[in-house]
Amino acid sequence: MPLIDPITMSSTAPSPIIKSSHPIELLPTDLARLFTHTHPAILLAAFTLSFPALVVNPVSTLLNSLPPLAIIQASYAVICLPATGTAAKLDKKPKPGAKKEIVPSRAPVTIFYALLLSLLSIPLLTTTQILFGAPLTTHLPHTLLSSAHIALLAIFPLVYVHGSDGKKWREVLSLYSPVDEVFGAAVGAMLGAWLGAVPIPLDWDREWQKWPVTIVAGVYAGYVAGKIVGGLVLRGKRIEFD
Amino acid sequence: MVATKIPKPAPGDSTSIAAQYARAKARKDAEDTKVDSIFKSQGYEKPKPKNPVEKLNDRKRERFDREWSWTVGFFFWLLSLHAAGIYFFTKGFLLTRLVLDEKSSCENPPIALSTTFKGAGTHKAGCWHPKTFDRAVVIIIDALRYDFTVPYKQDGALNSEPAQAFHNALPFMYETAIKQPHNAFLLPFIADPPTTTLQRLKGLTTGTLPTFIDAGSNFAGTAIEEDNMLMQLRDAGKRIVHLGDDTWTALFPGYFEANISRAYDSFNVHDLHTVDTGVIEHIFPLLAPEGRDSWDVMIAHCLGVDHAGHRYGPNHFAMTAKLQQMDVMLRDVVKALDKNTLLVVMGDHGMDPKGDHGGESDDEVQAALWMYSNKGIFGRTDPAFVTPPTTAKIRPVDQIDLVPTLSLLLGVPIPFNSIGKPIEEAFAGKEGNAWENLAGAVRVAAAGTQRYQSAYYVARGINESTINTSEGTPHALWVAAGNSVGSGVRTDQVWKDIYYSYLSFQVETLRLFRDLWARFDVTSMALGIAILIMGVMCLLLYANEMAEESLAREDPELEKKERELELDSILKGEVPVYEDDQVSRSAAMAALMGSLSGAIAGAGSASILWAYIEEASMLDMAIAGAATGSGLAVLLSKLRAALPFSNPLPTSVWSWMALVFVISQSIGFASNSFTIWEDSQLLFFISTFGLAAAISSVRIEGKAERALGTYHSIAFVALGWLASFSKLCREEQMPYCRSTYYASATSSTSAPWQLLIPFLIAVGLPSIVKSYFASSRSYEGFAPVWIGWVFRSGIVLSAIFWILDAADDGDWFPRLNGLLKTIRVPIAQLVFAVAIGAGSTVFTYAPPCVSISQTARATSNSSMIDSKGTTVTILGYANAHGSRYLLLVVNVLLAVLMVQKPMGGGAIALMSWQILSLLEILDLNELTASPIGPAVLALLGSFHFFKTGHQATLSSIQWESAFIALYNVKYPWSPLLIALNTYGAQILAAAAVPAVVLWKQQPKKRGLLKNVAAAIAWHLAYYAVIELATTMWAGHLRRHLMLYRIFSPKFMTASMALFVVDIIGIFVPLIGFRLNNLSVAEVFGWPLS
Repeated sequence: MPLIDPITMSSTAPSPIIKSSHPIELLPTDLARLFTHTHPAILLAAFTLSFPALVVNPVSTLLNSLPPLAIIQASYAVICLPATGTAAKLDKKPKPGAKKEIVPSRAPVTIFYALLLSLLSIPLLTTTQILFGAPLTTHLPHTLLSSAHIALLAIFPLVYVHGSDGKKWREVLSLYSPVDEVFGAAVGAMLGAWLGAVPIPLDWDREWQKWPVTIVAGVYAGYVAGKIVGGLVLRGKRIEFD
Repeated sequence: MVATKIPKPAPGDSTSIAAQYARAKARKDAEDTKVDSIFKSQGYEKPKPKNPVEKLNDRKRERFDREWSWTVGFFFWLLSLHAAGIYFFTKGFLLTRLVLDEKSSCENPPIALSTTFKGAGTHKAGCWHPKTFDRAVVIIIDALRYDFTVPYKQDGALNSEPAQAFHNALPFMYETAIKQPHNAFLLPFIADPPTTTLQRLKGLTTGTLPTFIDAGSNFAGTAIEEDNMLMQLRDAGKRIVHLGDDTWTALFPGYFEANISRAYDSFNVHDLHTVDTGVIEHIFPLLAPEGRDSWDVMIAHCLGVDHAGHRYGPNHFAMTAKLQQMDVMLRDVVKALDKNTLLVVMGDHGMDPKGDHGGESDDEVQAALWMYSNKGIFGRTDPAFVTPPTTAKIRPVDQIDLVPTLSLLLGVPIPFNSIGKPIEEAFAGKEGNAWENLAGAVRVAAAGTQRYQSAYYVARGINESTINTSEGTPHALWVAAGNSVGSGVRTDQVWKDIYYSYLSFQVETLRLFRDLWARFDVTSMALGIAILIMGVMCLLLYANEMAEESLAREDPELEKKERELELDSILKGEVPVYEDDQVSRSAAMAALMGSLSGAIAGAGSASILWAYIEEASMLDMAIAGAATGSGLAVLLSKLRAALPFSNPLPTSVWSWMALVFVISQSIGFASNSFTIWEDSQLLFFISTFGLAAAISSVRIEGKAERALGTYHSIAFVALGWLASFSKLCREEQMPYCRSTYYASATSSTSAPWQLLIPFLIAVGLPSIVKSYFASSRSYEGFAPVWIGWVFRSGIVLSAIFWILDAADDGDWFPRLNGLLKTIRVPIAQLVFAVAIGAGSTVFTYAPPCVSISQTARATSNSSMIDSKGTTVTILGYANAHGSRYLLLVVNVLLAVLMVQKPMGGGAIALMSWQILSLLEILDLNELTASPIGPAVLALLGSFHFFKTGHQATLSSIQWESAFIALYNVKYPWSPLLIALNTYGAQILAAAAVPAVVLWKQQPKKRGLLKNVAAAIAWHLAYYAVIELATTMWAGHLRRHLMLYRIFSPKFMTASMALFVVDIIGIFVPLIGFRLNNLSVAEVFGWPLS
C-alpha cells in the first residue's frame, strides 16, 4: 500500500513504484532503426493479405500463420531489441541489481526461451478472454489461437527484453512500466482486443463478425498503433490511474 | 481502516489518538458510561445537567440531521423530476387513439347495398347482409397458440425435435376442419400487440387496433365506451350470457344476463382450474334444450391454458392435461349444439416459449381460430385450403377480422370503428364460389372502414383533400373498387373482381393504419426528454460538488487546528457554533422556489391558453412548469457554484472508465443488437473493471495488500462470469443463446438440481459474509447472531419454500397440493417478517459491530489508554461504520433472495459476494470517493437483473412472484413483490451504495454524509443516463420496425428501474446511513464537523 495520510485517506505520493526503470533503448544499429519501422508495415500487410482466409477459415489460418508470425517477431527481436541482460550495458546509468556481463551470442537462446515463456501465457490469455465473455464450450481452438497470436505479438518481445526480472514484470503487469515501443505495443494490442469485441453483437450478418476475427484484427491494429505511439509520442511517460 | 490495515503508525494518526486521549481525560466519568453502553446496547440517561461535550454532541447531531434532511429533500425532488419527465414523454410516446363516438346503425349501411334482399336493414333478416345464424357461442381459450391445434409428427428434416407437451393434445379442431370442411374451418389468428388479454378483448370486440397506452391497465379493466360487437348485439335485442374470465364484466358492465352469467377472478395464475371448471359446469346446462331459451349469444372465456403457460411453460404435462380437457369440452359442446347456432373458438393471443405473453414476438401473436356450425355453409375458394395451414405463417387472418365476420353472420351492423375484413371461409359458400356473397360482405365492410377513415380524419382535423391519392393508396384503391362494381351484368367473374378489389383496399388501409395510426405527441415527448436531461445535469453537478466539498475538507493540518480549537472551547466550557452545509440546502431550496414559481407560471399560462386550446390541461401545465422551473433553478444555482473552479471532464482513469461504460452503453441502445445483448455487454464491462482493479492492485506497495487486492479483483471477475451462466434468453437472442434459468427452454419451473442452489447459499453465503467482517475484526456485536443464525435460517427457509413450490408444480404429492401451498406461503411471510420487520428493528437499535477488551499491556494502535491506565482495545473500530451498515445490506439481501427462483437466488448470492469484493477492492485502491464504485454497483445491478431470469421484455416479468408470500392478489403487496422480484438486483446494489463509502471507515471520519450523498448521486446518475438514452432512442426510433419489440420495452424497463432505484435510494441508503451514523456517534461521539 502506498504511503497514505491516515486522516484523509489520500495518497501523498502519486507514484508508489520506484521510478528507476527506463524505457527500452533499441539496438544502436541502422538496421534496427530501419527494421523497427518496417516491422509494423510487414505485420499489417501480412494480416491484410490473410484476412480473407481468416474470415473463411479462422482456425487453420490462425494456426498456419503462427510460424511466419514467430519468424517476424523473432527477427524483430534479434534485429531491434536488446535481449534480456544486455540492456544493462546499453543503459546510460546501469541498474544496480542488473547483471552486467554480456554474453555475445545470447540472442538465439533468449529467443528460444522467450518463445517458450510467451507460449506459457496462452492459457492465461485464453482464460481472460473467456472471463470477458468468450464462449467456453465451443470455439475453444479459436480462442486458444487468438491468444497465441496475442502472446507472440505482445508478450514475446516483453519476455525477450525483460527476461524474468520479477520487479520489472510487476511494473509491466501493473501497466506502470515507462512507455516504450515494446510496452506500448503490448498495451495497444490489449486495447485493440478489447475494442475488437464491439462489433460482434451487431446484426449486420457479416462473415467477418464471427469469433475471433474482430478480436485478432483489433489486436494487430492495436499492436501497430501502440508501437508507434509508444515509441514516438509517449516514450518515457507512465500510465497514471489517478 | 487505518487501524487494522496499516501496521506502522502513520504521522497523522498519533494526533488523533492524542486528541482522543485528551478528550478521554476531559470526559472522565462520562467516558466510562459511554464505553459501558457498548455492552448494554443502549445507554441509560442520567438526569444531570449537560456538560459542554454533550452539548457539543447535540449541536453536531442537530446539524447532521438538518444536513441530512436537505439531502433527502434533494433526492426527493429528483424523484419527482424523473416522474414528471417520464410522464410527459410517455404521454406523447405511448400511442393514443382518438376514440370516436359514432355508432353504426342497422338502418344506415355505410354504402348502398349491392344486392337487395328481403328485410334488408332489419335485425330480423340481417342489417347489412343476409344473416346466417341467430345464435352464437363464442369460446375463448386464453393463450391458445396456433401450433397447439395442428398435429405434429417428428419426421426427420423439417420437424427434427420430438413432440412437446403441448403438441397433439387438442386435435379436435383440426380433425373436424379436415373431415367436415363445410362445418368447420381452422385458421391462424394473428393478434395485434400488445398481447395482453384486456387489449385483446378490446380489439376482438371493437374491431380496431388496440393502442399501447392501455397496456398498463390490464389488471383494472375499464368499460369500453366505443361502438362494439356486444353493444350492437344488445341493441339488436340479443341476450348475452357470459362465463369465465371476469375481465369481460369489467369491460362490459351490465351487458350480461344477470342470473345465468358467471364471472371468475382472472389474475390468480397459480389456479389452473377454477375458471375452467366453472365454465364447463355452467356451459352445458345452457346448451341443453331447456337452457337454450334464456340467451342468444354466449361468451365463455377459459383461462387454464394461459395460467398453465404462465406457471409451468407450454412444455409441461399440466399443459397437456389442460389442452386435453379443452378438447373434451369442445367435443361435448359440438354434440350439444343446435343447427342455428354458430360456434367460434379462439385464442386471444399465443404465448412465448416460456408461456408468457404481452409482447409482439411471433409465438405471442399467433393464436388459433376455429369456427363450427351444423349448417354446413363454410367453404374454401381453393380445394387446397381445406387442410388447415401447417404453420401460422400461411393464410393467417387478423383478429380484427372477427368483428365484421361475426356481425355479418349474425345480421347486426358492423361496429363503426371496425377496420377488419370478413373471413373468406365463412362467406365463400359450400362450393367456394359464392363470389356475390363474398363481394357483398367485403364491400359493406370496406365501406364501413372508409366511413370510419373519413370520420377519423375529420375528428383529427386532417383535410381529406390533402391526403395522398396516387396509385396504390387506399384512396385510389377505393375509387378503383367502386369502379369495378360497374353497372352491367354481373357474372361470377365480375363479383370475383369486385371482391378482390375491395379486399386490396381493406388490406392497404389496414397497413396504413398500422403505420400511422395514432400520432405521437412530439411536443410532449420533447418536454419529457428536456426535463430528464435537466435531471441528469443537476445530478452530476450535485455529485461533483458534494465530492469536491468533502475533498476540500481533507486537509490534515486544518483538521488538527480545528481539533485543537474545539478542544480549547470545550475546556473553556463553551460550545462552538457550526455553519450549516450549503450543497444540498441550496439545491433543495432552488428546487422548491423553482417548482413553486414554475407551477404558478404553468397554471397561469394554461388558464390563458384555455381560451384558445381546449386540450391544455391545467394540471399538466402546472406540472410542466414546476418541473422545468425547478430544474432550471437548480441547474443555475449549481452551475454558478461549479463554474469558477470545476473541470467538467473526469480527472482520473477511474472516472473516465465510469464515463466510458455509461456512454458506450447509452449509444449502444440505439442499436437493437446491443439492446438484445445487453447482458453480455455488461459482463464485458464488469470484467473490464475487474481487470483494471487487478492491474491497479499490482501497483500497491504492501505485499499483503497487493495480494489481497489482486485476489479480490480476480474473484470479482470470476464470480460475475460464473453468474453469467444463469441465462433466460429472449426470442431475438436465438439461436445463439441457451436458457438455463428453468428446467428447459419451454418451461417456467426449476430443474431438480437447481433446488440445491438455495441450500448451497445457506451453507456458503453467511460464511462468506462473515469472512469479510472478520477481515476487519468486525464480526462482533450483533453480527454473529444476525449473520450466522438469523440470515442463515432465513435462507434455509427460502430453500424449503422453493422445494415445496417445486413439489407443488411437479405434482410430486398429488394429494397434498392444497397443503403445500398452505405451508409455503407462511414460510415466505416469516422470511419477510425477519428480513424487513425484525431486520429493520435490529438495524435501528443495534450497537456498532465492535467489542471492547481491557488489558494491561499495550497492543496495536486500535487501542487507547483510558484514565485508569489500562489499555482498551476496540475490535472492529476501524470498520465501525462499514460493518454495521452491512447488516442492512444483509437484510435487503435476504428479502431479495426470498423472491428469486433458485437459479436467480444463486445469481444474487454471487452478486452479493461480488459487492463484498468490490468494497475491498475500492478500499485497497483508495477509490472510495471515486464515481467508479457506485457506477460498478449500478453495472452489477443491471447485470444481475438479467441473471435473475429477466429481460427487457414485458413477457419476462415473473408474475407468479406475486404469490410467493400471498394466497391472493392484494394491493399494494402483489405489485411490490413483483417489483422486488424484477428489480431485486438493482435494489440490492442501491442498498449497498453507502457501503462503498463506509467500508473500513473509522468512527471519527468527517464529512461522510457528503461522500454518501455523492455516491448515491453517482449511482442514480448511471440509471438516469441509461433511462435518458433509452427514452431518446425510443422517441427517435418511433417508426422503427422493432419499436414495440425492442426499444419500447427497453425504455419501459429502464424507466421502471430508475423509479425503483430513486425510491430505494431515499428509503434504504439515506435512512440507513442516518441510523448507522447516529448509532456510531452515540457510542464513539461525533466527529469534527
